[in-house]
Amino acid sequence: MRRDERNMKIYQLVVRDTLRRRRRALFTAMGVAIGVAAVVAVLTVANAGEKRIYSEIDKYGPNMMVTPAINDMDLKLGDLRLGSLAVGNNYIAEDRVPEIRQIADGAIREALGIQDQEDIATIAPKLYVDTTVNGTSIMVAGFDAQQEIAIKSWWDTAKGGYPEQQNEALLGDRASSALGVDVGDRISINGEEVTIVGVLQETGSQDDYQVFAPLGTVQKAFGKEGLISSIDIRALCSACPVESIADSINKSIPGVRAVAVQQIAESEMNLVMKVNRFMLALAAITLVVGVFAVVSTMMSSVHERTKDIGIMKAVGASRGQIVRMFVYEAVAVGLIGGIMGYVAGTLLSYVLGPLIFDGLPMSYAPQYLLPALGLAIAVAIVASVYPAFRASQVRVAESLRAL
Amino acid sequence: MLEIKNVSKTYGNGSSSVGALKDISVQVDDGDFVAITGPSGSGKSTLLSVIGGLEKISAGEVILDGRRIDNLNEKELVEIRRNKVAYVFQQYHLIPSLTALENVLLPLTFHGLADGSRKKAAAMLQEVGLEKRAKHKPGQLSGGEQQRVAIARALINGCSLILADEPTGNVDQKTGVEILKLFQKANEDGHTIIMVTHSPEVARRAKRIVTLRDGEIVDQVDQEGCEKPSGKGGIIQ
Repeated sequence: MRRDERNMKIYQLVVRDTLRRRRRALFTAMGVAIGVAAVVAVLTVANAGEKRIYSEIDKYGPNMMVTPAINDMDLKLGDLRLGSLAVGNNYIAEDRVPEIRQIADGAIREALGIQDQEDIATIAPKLYVDTTVNGTSIMVAGFDAQQEIAIKSWWDTAKGGYPEQQNEALLGDRASSALGVDVGDRISINGEEVTIVGVLQETGSQDDYQVFAPLGTVQKAFGKEGLISSIDIRALCSACPVESIADSINKSIPGVRAVAVQQIAESEMNLVMKVNRFMLALAAITLVVGVFAVVSTMMSSVHERTKDIGIMKAVGASRGQIVRMFVYEAVAVGLIGGIMGYVAGTLLSYVLGPLIFDGLPMSYAPQYLLPALGLAIAVAIVASVYPAFRASQVRVAESLRAL
Repeated sequence: MLEIKNVSKTYGNGSSSVGALKDISVQVDDGDFVAITGPSGSGKSTLLSVIGGLEKISAGEVILDGRRIDNLNEKELVEIRRNKVAYVFQQYHLIPSLTALENVLLPLTFHGLADGSRKKAAAMLQEVGLEKRAKHKPGQLSGGEQQRVAIARALINGCSLILADEPTGNVDQKTGVEILKLFQKANEDGHTIIMVTHSPEVARRAKRIVTLRDGEIVDQVDQEGCEKPSGKGGIIQ
């Protein structure tokens, strides 16, 4: 049977009518679009922000940091506060490293149920010293090259290689240009002569500004034999109980403080989540305003179409069919508004994202397209409930008063 | 058969109430063609509304085919409109976004009928002489053409009772004659027609004329078997 033979469907009526009143439909869709755009923009920005934090955590390398335990102690004289005093050492004794390894490796073995006695965790001790090289103030890090490279998997040399001898050093990308030295040059670190054997590629982290020399050399140069500033630990497994390792280190080794990096990440994530929630709340308000805009345009659409509704009822349309027509229209409007809102929201996020998380690169978030359309349609349907009800109440006699 | 028994319709209440229909009783047999006529404000349009279930009555009964229709709920009214009663309005009342054919199709759309509907609608349009205008929208049609579309729409559901309110009120006399011929043809095909008009010439085309004044029936003339008003009508031939 040819298409011509078939009857017209109610949705076709709606399509005809919507096309005829496309300006109004577009206007109504815009009410939906504004709210959806706000939500999509917030979600896209939040999504990019979270991704950045995760990639930063990933870049962080270690999943645990051990630093000297420095406590602030309040100084009080009676009721008088005299400020606070930092109590504790600025350094960790290097001979604590094997103890820390024992705890970490032991916990990992237990977690993974393995027996072998080899080193498991990567433990990279470092000694940081602020000093002056070639008349430029710079941070020198004494390090264990092999352990450091193992932790910082993203490290790569732009020139040369990594230090192997005690009198060799590695430069961060910026440190090389700040000091005006290159591979093969010699510099003096507080009297200790070292040869630059490599320059790192830019990492975007503080490593770019540092001079890396073997731990022993730096300790000797500054008279800090046996001392380190911090230890980065990486347990190379996702099931590794970093938090409980940190706990047992804190309990059994005095004078140090072990922090699972996840905690840092978590607190950072918490902040981001709070900001996101706030922005989402704003977006929700925009959405509610959008709903009212849709209700009001839909209501005037009902008024405008009172006559048509009356005609339809006069020729046999039921209340349910009238309601259905408005719901179909809402779906159509929601779909158009959803697409408009998704596009506008994505564009908005490209503008807002870099402003909020300075310079954050945005990426198009296709996973929000379907939820955005769903939201838009839901909003449009919610907004059309009352107008549709009103439309279904139109009485034939009233609408066709000329009768 | 339609029976109107002691129907009254009062607007407002208390001392400010206005009686639009006062104790009206009429009977319309199947296949009848009744013209309701009378001056403005005589209650003729109100009577038509009451018959079509568009207005509630204050007293009395309206009985269509043995069933009271004056106290129906919305759902029952929908049933009546789909199967029994169709309207033709003075202002045509077509849906502007739909073509002539689709306007004719509209009752079937709501009725939920499917196969062959377009063919039926096309046949209906042919019946009223508008087969060439099927794809035109109301805005592209003359008043007379729009009214013919409206008549086709009223006929498509096969409703036995057609209520027409001043169907020739907005068209010129020549077109009016053509429209009245369509009603006469529908009547010959078995439809019962009740038409409100203020024009005596138009009323003379009906089989029966009911005249109202101030909400009361003042005259009923059965024209069948009487002298056909062909000579005196003049305007309508």
